[in-house]
Amino acid sequence: MAVPLFLSVLLIAACGLIYELVASALASYLLGDSVTQFSTVIGTYLFAMGVGSWLSRFLSRGLVARFVSIELMVGLVGGFSSTILFLAFAYTGAFRLVLYVLVVILGVFVGLEIPLLMRILKDRYAFKDVVSNVLTFDYLGALAASLAFPILLVPRLGLVRSALLFGLVNAGVALWSVWLFRAHLGARRVLAGASVAVLLLLSAGMAGATKITNLAEDNIYSDEVIFSRTTRYQRIVLTAWKDDLRLWLNAHLQFSSRDEYRYHEALVHPGLSARPSARRVLVLGGGDGLAVRELLKHPGVETITLVDLDPEMTRIFSTHPTLVALNHGSLSSPKVHVVNDDAFVWLDKHPDMFDFVVVDFPDPNNYGVGKLYTTVFYRLLARHLSRDGLVVVQATSPLFARKSFWCIAETMHQAGLTTYPYHLYVPSFGEWGFVLASLDGGYTPPTTLPAQLRYLTVAEVPRMFEFSADMQPVAVEANRLNTQVLVRYYEQEWDRVNR
Amino acid sequence: MSPDENKDSSSSPPSRRTFLLASGAAVVAAGAAIVSRFTNAPALLGLDRKSGPRISGGWVNESAALGHRLRDGASMPTPRRIVRVPAVAVGGGIAGLSAAWQLERHGFRDYVLLEMERDAGGNARGGENAVSRYPWAAHYVPVPGPRATLVRELFRELGVLTDTGWDERTLCFAPQERLFVHGEWQSGLDAELLGSHTGRDELHRFDDLIAEQRRSGEFTIPMALGARAGSALDRMSFAHWLDAAGLRSPAMRWYAEYGTRDDYGASTRDTSAWAGVHYHAAREPTEQGPLTWPEGNTWIARRLAARVGTRLITGTPVHRILSNGRKGWRVRAGDAEYLCDDVIFAAPTFLTPYIVEGMRAPGFVYSPWLVANLTLDRWPEERGVPPAWDNVLRSGVGLGYVVATHQALRAREDGPTVWTYYCALTTRDPATERRVLQTSTWSDWVERIMMELAVAHPNIRRCVTHVDIVRLGHAMVRPTVAFLGADARRDPQWAPRGIHLAHSDLSGLSLFEEAQYRGVVAADAVLASQHRR
Repeated sequence: MAVPLFLSVLLIAACGLIYELVASALASYLLGDSVTQFSTVIGTYLFAMGVGSWLSRFLSRGLVARFVSIELMVGLVGGFSSTILFLAFAYTGAFRLVLYVLVVILGVFVGLEIPLLMRILKDRYAFKDVVSNVLTFDYLGALAASLAFPILLVPRLGLVRSALLFGLVNAGVALWSVWLFRAHLGARRVLAGASVAVLLLLSAGMAGATKITNLAEDNIYSDEVIFSRTTRYQRIVLTAWKDDLRLWLNAHLQFSSRDEYRYHEALVHPGLSARPSARRVLVLGGGDGLAVRELLKHPGVETITLVDLDPEMTRIFSTHPTLVALNHGSLSSPKVHVVNDDAFVWLDKHPDMFDFVVVDFPDPNNYGVGKLYTTVFYRLLARHLSRDGLVVVQATSPLFARKSFWCIAETMHQAGLTTYPYHLYVPSFGEWGFVLASLDGGYTPPTTLPAQLRYLTVAEVPRMFEFSADMQPVAVEANRLNTQVLVRYYEQEWDRVNR
Repeated sequence: MSPDENKDSSSSPPSRRTFLLASGAAVVAAGAAIVSRFTNAPALLGLDRKSGPRISGGWVNESAALGHRLRDGASMPTPRRIVRVPAVAVGGGIAGLSAAWQLERHGFRDYVLLEMERDAGGNARGGENAVSRYPWAAHYVPVPGPRATLVRELFRELGVLTDTGWDERTLCFAPQERLFVHGEWQSGLDAELLGSHTGRDELHRFDDLIAEQRRSGEFTIPMALGARAGSALDRMSFAHWLDAAGLRSPAMRWYAEYGTRDDYGASTRDTSAWAGVHYHAAREPTEQGPLTWPEGNTWIARRLAARVGTRLITGTPVHRILSNGRKGWRVRAGDAEYLCDDVIFAAPTFLTPYIVEGMRAPGFVYSPWLVANLTLDRWPEERGVPPAWDNVLRSGVGLGYVVATHQALRAREDGPTVWTYYCALTTRDPATERRVLQTSTWSDWVERIMMELAVAHPNIRRCVTHVDIVRLGHAMVRPTVAFLGADARRDPQWAPRGIHLAHSDLSGLSLFEEAQYRGVVAADAVLASQHRR
């Protein structure tokens, strides 16, 4: 009986360490700042183990049955720990709370295991042998787990399956213990039944693990998450892989630091460089400050009003060092005035006029955002445009979403604007399009551009207005508040691409 | 192992046995309390409180007491002053306001418009709170067809119709309608019909039959232009008509039932086939959707009332209209007696025997309704297509809810909102329903509404903060079988000389267009009468 008993010490020690590692790794993966996450998770876990050890004194009778129950609890909670954490991250704003509550519960149960086991064994073997053997196997198990975790488990199984696998080990130890102590256990049928139930539950979890990770957006962010926050309006996630920084809003890619210069230079300069006299500029959306960075390259611009719905977004892009480095601190420029309001509502209640307007909203993938691409919106926008003013609108991809792109152009046209659609290639997005528009018809590509642009040249600008055969205009309806055809076009087209 | 320790755990004292469980539970509970205070997480974690937070609110706009005093012939104040004015309009709903609008358009200002409530508007009244304006009953006007010339004229005047077309901020935003059926929201009220072969087939046949009726020219808005008292459809119920057409599937019958409940507050059994068909045939199938405002038709009522100016006198119930022989009429309202030649009676016609000397009851039937405005601090959970303007539950006793913030420009859709919940009381006869409505309590109704909506929105109770409810005993006239042939409608001499009936109940259709038409026709009669003098 001795070897199997001490072997189970090794196994439960390994399980205990794995859950700790899973929780720490998941926290650093999802929240970033791995030093903090590992330190706090391990600290909390060890403290909770201490609480568990202390609590063990209150257990005096039916020790084997209790040990089996605790194993089953550890297996269940630990096995599903990464599942719970992923889902908590994806669907709630309380990830940290769930994390530490889980770590405390697990720690308490794991802390109970060894003291109980030692008491169970103390009457069978000499105390010095019990202490020596239990601790030896405990540390051996820890070594095995800490080596297997980075080398085998994470790369081969992933975090969700690894935790489930070790949950199965815990439940296996429980079932095994029922068998080992069968002669002394009263309720062995109940305990064996419970063990089998937990084993089945965890196996079901294993079978559905892929679905769980998909649910939890695990696949979306293939890179390390360095920042994430759920605000009142959206989920902001920043990921990094080597020198590539990516911003995701509600799991939609907003930019990649490797090629965002292409997007933002193309968004701003073809229009603004053609209007050297422009003084007052309005940016709608674009809380990342990257369009503003480009606008500030025009010394003639005196004021920039940036209207972005989400105060958290503009705050992060004004303060986070990596992001401030990316937008050159544009949001802190004295020329920039940040307003956190709904763009439509703000335009409706303010009379201010502008010489150049940048409209950089998320793609029209729901009826709410769809309102910002309607005839009514563009007519309202036109009323804020000075006579010689220009407006530029990000208009999704003319290649992947051809109808959507031309629908936006048609909508602006129906709102009384003269439109000049153009496009460029952004590696992380693919072909991307913008619609430039003026009030009275009058746009010629600029003959000069700000110095030190990385993508645009004077020769390149006119070429952007040429569309190849597969991106030519198609017959579409204008997008109106009472029809919202654009949302339907957009859904159909991107569904086809993403299938 | 000591024998002591080998005993089954069930023999240990409960305090120790439960210690671990209790401490674990304490941690979870404390966590839950913190989580539910600061985040939306409890739903996922299953930590919802069983009962939601307290909902405030109560009955509002109660006016039944005054009506019952009139009915029971209670003593009313004796007049202390006499006012001479050529014309008096009684009732400041859309009919009365439209009559005034017509008089004003013709430069005739020698009249007063008397309204018993604090605000004019009648069924087109509304309210407002920190979240939104909202309607108390009528909340839209369909885009008028070519024959509804008066509606078009009014909307031109109000800037809703311009040379470039209808104001796009007033046309109902997409998506307009959705139906909660088979456990999720689906787009369009015909979602259930379109979901099955039988349903699609019956809907096709129904549409064909309606198209045929439409071509007959009998179904117009205003109805007076096309309706004939001898119509065969006036002599049978809509349910009978559907039976005869072989339209019997539950989905089809629900669809038809929803139409009559929505427009007439009556079941298909209590509605004439003429009216049932009118609902579908009087309007061209159009893509444009209705004209609507967050506050509903109050938007129009306010603007009409502004045109009437000081000639509108609110908070002044008319309690008696007495004949003054050849000299016209004496209208008693509050402490004043108005001596006039002509009276535009734009209050519901069933009031005439209680108010107008020598007049009989018209014999109309009226449907009782209940309207609730629900304030929500966030959008509740749901499954299926995104929120629409009009949201109907297939399983609901009520007619569903209309979202007051739907016409807001803001892009964000999950923020605070106001829903207007409508329920036509059609199960029992109207008198019984009215009695039950008068004795029911506000909290009973809140409970019923929450239960009904929870089918589609499981956490609705935690999102609703305030519920105001109005009960409308005589909300709208019912176009019952043989309504078109009723004396009060057919006989021009039914009302005595100088009394010009103007309420939309004369049309049998409680529609904005009918109220406006009747009001304008009555005003024209007054203008002609005044011209002769």
